[in-house]
Amino acid sequence: MLRINNLHAAYGKVEVLHGISVEVPQGKVVTLIGSNGAGKTTTMRAISGMIKPVSGSISLNGKDITGMSSSKIARAGLAHSPEGRRVFATLSVTDNLLLGAFPRLTFGRERGDVPGDLVRVFDLFPRLKERETQLAGTLSGGEQQMLAMGRALMLNPAVLLLDEPSMGLAPLLVAEVFRIIRELKARGITMLLVEQFAAAALEVADYGYVMENGRISVHGPAGQLKNDPAVREAYLGAAH
Amino acid sequence: MSLFKNIAAIVAIAVAASLPTMWSNPYYIHLMVVIGIYAILLLGLDIVVGYVGEVSLGHAALFGIGSYTAGVLGHSLGVPFLLTIPASIVVTAIFGAILALPALRVNGPYLAMVTLAFGTIIQILINEMDFLTNGPLGITIRKPIYFGHHISSADYYYIVLAALVMTLFVVQRILKSHLGRAFEALHDSPIASDCMGVSVYGYKVYAFVLSAGIAGLAGGLFTYSEEYISPNTYNFELTILFLLAVIMGGRKTRIGPILGAIIIVMLPNVLSDIDLFRKIAVGIAAVTVAYSIYVIATKQRSFKQMALPLLATIALAVSGFYIQDITGQRLTIFGLMILFVVYYLPNGIMGFLRGILLRIRPQWMHRHEVILEHGDKQHVWSVPDHPVTARGNLLEARNIVMQFGGLKALNEVNLEVKKGTVHGLIGPNGSGKSTMMNVLTGIYKPTSGEIEFNGKHITGATPSSIAGEGIARTFQNVQLFGEMTAIENVLVGLHHTYRHSLLDVVFHTPRCRREKLAARVRAASLLQFVGLVDLASEEARNLPYGKQRLLEIARALALNPSLLLLDEPAAGLTAPDIKELIGMINKIRGHGITVILIEHHMDVVMSICDTVTVLDFGQKIAEGTPAQVQSDDKVIEAYLGGTAAA
Repeated sequence: MLRINNLHAAYGKVEVLHGISVEVPQGKVVTLIGSNGAGKTTTMRAISGMIKPVSGSISLNGKDITGMSSSKIARAGLAHSPEGRRVFATLSVTDNLLLGAFPRLTFGRERGDVPGDLVRVFDLFPRLKERETQLAGTLSGGEQQMLAMGRALMLNPAVLLLDEPSMGLAPLLVAEVFRIIRELKARGITMLLVEQFAAAALEVADYGYVMENGRISVHGPAGQLKNDPAVREAYLGAAH
Repeated sequence: MSLFKNIAAIVAIAVAASLPTMWSNPYYIHLMVVIGIYAILLLGLDIVVGYVGEVSLGHAALFGIGSYTAGVLGHSLGVPFLLTIPASIVVTAIFGAILALPALRVNGPYLAMVTLAFGTIIQILINEMDFLTNGPLGITIRKPIYFGHHISSADYYYIVLAALVMTLFVVQRILKSHLGRAFEALHDSPIASDCMGVSVYGYKVYAFVLSAGIAGLAGGLFTYSEEYISPNTYNFELTILFLLAVIMGGRKTRIGPILGAIIIVMLPNVLSDIDLFRKIAVGIAAVTVAYSIYVIATKQRSFKQMALPLLATIALAVSGFYIQDITGQRLTIFGLMILFVVYYLPNGIMGFLRGILLRIRPQWMHRHEVILEHGDKQHVWSVPDHPVTARGNLLEARNIVMQFGGLKALNEVNLEVKKGTVHGLIGPNGSGKSTMMNVLTGIYKPTSGEIEFNGKHITGATPSSIAGEGIARTFQNVQLFGEMTAIENVLVGLHHTYRHSLLDVVFHTPRCRREKLAARVRAASLLQFVGLVDLASEEARNLPYGKQRLLEIARALALNPSLLLLDEPAAGLTAPDIKELIGMINKIRGHGITVILIEHHMDVVMSICDTVTVLDFGQKIAEGTPAQVQSDDKVIEAYLGGTAAA
């Protein structure tokens, strides 16, 4: 499980996270919601080591990972499916997925059953199986999103970070992405989810944190947040 | 800060002017003249390397062309100094254009190769064209005589100093103007530059020709300082030395090239004096040791990070005492310096010093004041409404086919957009919506079909000319000029409002000042409109994703378009932000600007679109009002799904 304690982070001189504490228990799905610029993506980037925290601590399964490099954090079992997908455009779908398992490689030996995991990812995303030899850059937006998620799963991660998995996707595909998240949850994968569709995110999550200007303003069980009038008005919109 | 800079500049010029009285030794004066000449050339080279971000290996050759123009005109035809120098500038600029026009169609390593070939050819030509250049024997020419006074080395120093100050001044003015901003923009995001009406190719050639002209000035001055020129001077090693100087001194600064010139001129002299070299090597090692102890003690760096520079500088100092002949190792030392600079000072010496300065005085980072009272309602962006008189079609795309290899991304698509409407374009991912945008803005040339905008055929026109016609756009994958501030991004969009010429820029004429101020006020009002005025001096890459999208809208509106293409503006926005966005698009339409909107958020599409076109696999499967489209069986099956929007 993942525990973030009093995390401060900055871009250059400008501090954007002012003491974030978040806990993601084993086997649970936790969501971070909040408006633009609240610091959700920054939190994700700080957790996976893409930016170095100013202070505070992050631990994964009891092991302190604060300030470690991204590649070491990935080796420690944390997978990040980044905002905007970032697939390796000039590599095939299969190569993209196998690169996801790269941190499991030590001195030429793989931990666990990588070929088996590849089969399992293809089971989860049949569309990717159909396109296994195609270059990732030629996939549609929805397929690239699935590839980014599949690539993260190839790490066989202890915790999976999903940043805006539904961004820029057609309504049909948004539904598909949430179906997959539910499926992953059923398989017991621990997840931290950032989503623009706050209502849908709270639907699938066990617990939620609301971020405002780099701080956690409210947190609680997802069902409770969903019915909180302040949260409803500010983040869920009138439509829900 | 500005006052401080002016005083510093005056003091620096005064010190430079008094140098010959301190060192009257002709050898030192000659070194200072060469430093001045190299600094002029490097200021020009920095336009290409620092701002446009292209590597030129042809600048030694351009330098040579300048030298030989002055040499041939002065020696064979007896043209006076005051005419040969301008001739050097013009002739070299023309050669720069001859090189740039074909060469800048390519970039990156290919451009480096082309300029390298140019350099080799020029050197060979100078060598072989005996009748003009006197071949390998070279040309001898004396310094000019004016009013019966033979210009001495010391006099010549002042001429070069004056030329350097002038170049510095001109280059500074150009780079701080809209031209400099265009150079930076095209380096940051070529595709967005083109779509803002700043032709990437055109401005690259412009920058290269400017740079060549400055190299010509340096070359001409060099001829009279050496009084003898021969082809061997303008070789590959010199071109590499120039690049090293720009990078080591610090790109995108005015002081960097001067520092770089000092280093490359002084270095061979330092290396030829073994005792001096030993002292300097020991000095550098001592400074590095002291600095390392400081950063390790204050825990800014770990010992592991500092080990290599420590070891390298100490090894250099020790080896200095073993090597007797250091000149033979000159290239090795240059190579080591390049490695060191690239690894530890990627922004050069000036970049490093600036970084330290900003840590001490972060308030100096804010380069631009925003001309606007916060919350001043009357300064919110508005345009003289394009009155929608005729309700005809603003845009008609007929039978558009776009083929990539075997894949037809668009297959016989027709699109008619009525004036003053918001036209939605929806469809599954990969259905061809963004391809359509790219065809309409000229990024792709359609395989067949034609596009008529405002009664004009724009099929196959370049992106920058289409932008000039009045089509502005935002991008699905945000394409901001990341290293520029928010307001500078908008100012690039306002590039079309700058009508003044290069001379206006150099002399800072009232017209230039007027247009500059007008653009700043307008940029501030546009930022006000999208609610980003508080972030005006923030670098675009530091803005959160949603705000970056809003900044793109402001930048697109700066073009004063009659048609605005928005590619997924709501992606990454939360529900309240989306409400604001809807209000914004309605206001844009209220000003008579027609909008084409690609969007996946059905609430946005349904609430503001007048007409919606649905694409699937590159074909139009439905078109009509939002309500019609929403209940269309084909659309539900291909796109919306049974439960509609999530």
